[in-house]
Amino acid sequence: MNQNTDLLTLRSVSKSYGTVPVLHDIDLSIRDGEFLTVLGPSGSGKTTVLRLIGGLEPLTSGEIRLDGQDISRMPINRRPFNTVFQDYALFPHLTVSGNVGYGLSVRHIQRKEIARRVAEALDLVQLGRFADRFPAQLSGGQRQRVALARALICQPRLILLDEPLAALDLELRRQMQVFLKSIQREIKTTFLFVTHDQEEAIGMADRICVMEAGHIRQLGTPHDLYYKPNCEFVARFFGENNLVAGKLGAVQGELRSIETALGRLVCSISDQPHLKAAAEGASAYAAFRPEALHLADAKDTDNRFSGTISDMAFAGSSTVATITAGADNAAQRLRLRVPSRVDGSALKSGEAVSLSFAPHEGHLVLA
Amino acid sequence: MSALPRLSTIFLAAITTLVAVLLYSPLFVPIVSSFFTISHGNVDWSSPTLSTYVTLAENHDILAALRTTLIVGVCTVILSVVSGTLLALYYHGRRSGRSILQFIIFLPFLMPPIISGLALLIFFREIGLERSLLTVVIGHTVFVLAIVYRTVLMRLQSMSRTLVEASYDLGATGWQTFWRIILPNLSSAMVGGAILAFALSFDETMITILVTGTQSTLPVRLWAMMRLGFSPDINALVALILMFTVLLCVLAARFLIPRQVATERT
Repeated sequence: MNQNTDLLTLRSVSKSYGTVPVLHDIDLSIRDGEFLTVLGPSGSGKTTVLRLIGGLEPLTSGEIRLDGQDISRMPINRRPFNTVFQDYALFPHLTVSGNVGYGLSVRHIQRKEIARRVAEALDLVQLGRFADRFPAQLSGGQRQRVALARALICQPRLILLDEPLAALDLELRRQMQVFLKSIQREIKTTFLFVTHDQEEAIGMADRICVMEAGHIRQLGTPHDLYYKPNCEFVARFFGENNLVAGKLGAVQGELRSIETALGRLVCSISDQPHLKAAAEGASAYAAFRPEALHLADAKDTDNRFSGTISDMAFAGSSTVATITAGADNAAQRLRLRVPSRVDGSALKSGEAVSLSFAPHEGHLVLA
Repeated sequence: MSALPRLSTIFLAAITTLVAVLLYSPLFVPIVSSFFTISHGNVDWSSPTLSTYVTLAENHDILAALRTTLIVGVCTVILSVVSGTLLALYYHGRRSGRSILQFIIFLPFLMPPIISGLALLIFFREIGLERSLLTVVIGHTVFVLAIVYRTVLMRLQSMSRTLVEASYDLGATGWQTFWRIILPNLSSAMVGGAILAFALSFDETMITILVTGTQSTLPVRLWAMMRLGFSPDINALVALILMFTVLLCVLAARFLIPRQVATERT
């Protein structure tokens, strides 16, 4: 299991249903042993990617390669991948062990061997005691784990998970995230996890592939996506963000200025050559996270602007202030996140404040 | 419903009771009178007896008719369940021409039985098929096919598509998927459909009269007995048929709403 080798490669894969295109020329490499999350809003084509890889749908064009071999036309039951379906798709007439052993028994493996491996798989998902129950007698989280055991018992090269946590409540979902991640580490199998929930994506993925409208917008680590979004969609979709429109100014080493309604702002462009190369005067956004914004003090000379607090919202561990900044005709709504304190925030609604963010905590995205 | 004023609730209950009484009371008359002897037009309530049943059991014509009915019923069930299931599977997998297919299957069930019966009679004569139990079985199958088809199709449509996908995904072939996943999930619907088909075949009279040869089924026999005059063992026969049919319907309902599916939905 070498995380640097590609297990599966999608090359200019397109998919249309009739005349309706759902995927446009997707290129994607999945590394051996990684936990890759495909994240996107509904209708972005993320589930289609999973169904194409699993073989549940034929490609319209392009190819899928496994270890360099074209498997685009390989029938679904020969692909060494298994799927955890969104509705779990447990067979209602089979017991838990019947469900888990199904993939082995259709391959005519000996009963003894099946029984041994089923017990092993059920232990792995901590369902040993439930072997003789029927799916209808299990809770949502238990069904989920049966579906997982059923998928991993055949020792697939890749496990495909189609929003498997969507039907669970928040607490259970968090437990299952940790559980899935630990299982993935234990069996060292590649996971392709589809979700629309960015919290889920950040929590589990080694890499995240953000999709929108049938295109891959960005592929990278959660950290990269959060701090170096490459387009407006990712900057807005992935985590809370402040985006201020403007025109690009001069490059100053690893920084670049942008002229905005809040004045000249300076943001980091390190490791993003396309931002360095972009023409001066090009439309772009300055993007900075609510937690990067802070009340300015005397030391802050860059990225300093004033605004008025229009609203304060307590959100548990942090408090979010909504701020109106800039001239009246180009007012910007910004969000400022500060840690919550038991005796209340020093900030008051209606108060005028002076704000700033450090240049290396701001980034740029092209419009 | 609790929002309804008290008076209208009472009114509705009264109407419901009245309808139930009107619908069901005629059914109780033959059952009750089958246990009493009738002499000179008067029911003798003082001594309940099973004598009508004894008379019935000694009537060889009736017993022969019962046997014929059972043979026809079983054959009809087998034929209609197999072909109804195949049709449902075919329909389910098809994209185009579905409404035409649906219409063709339902037509014989919706047409007046006398029309279906006459059409079959003419058809059998044209192709030179002698009237016999075979023609009765064919007639019954054509008639009940829609019920089996509909029952199986509804189960098929309520089955999650991903069950089949999951089976393939786990490496099963199409044949394995059919035998191990699709068929077991359809089985209770098939049993339910079979019971309904049997009940319909058991009661079918009009088509049977038209297409049967020399042998008669129970309802046909009953009809012939009525023409000759009312005899007390008819009460017993009606009571038996009635109880048997009710039993079949209860059984069918049990299979058509399997407990496992019911709990999963809640």
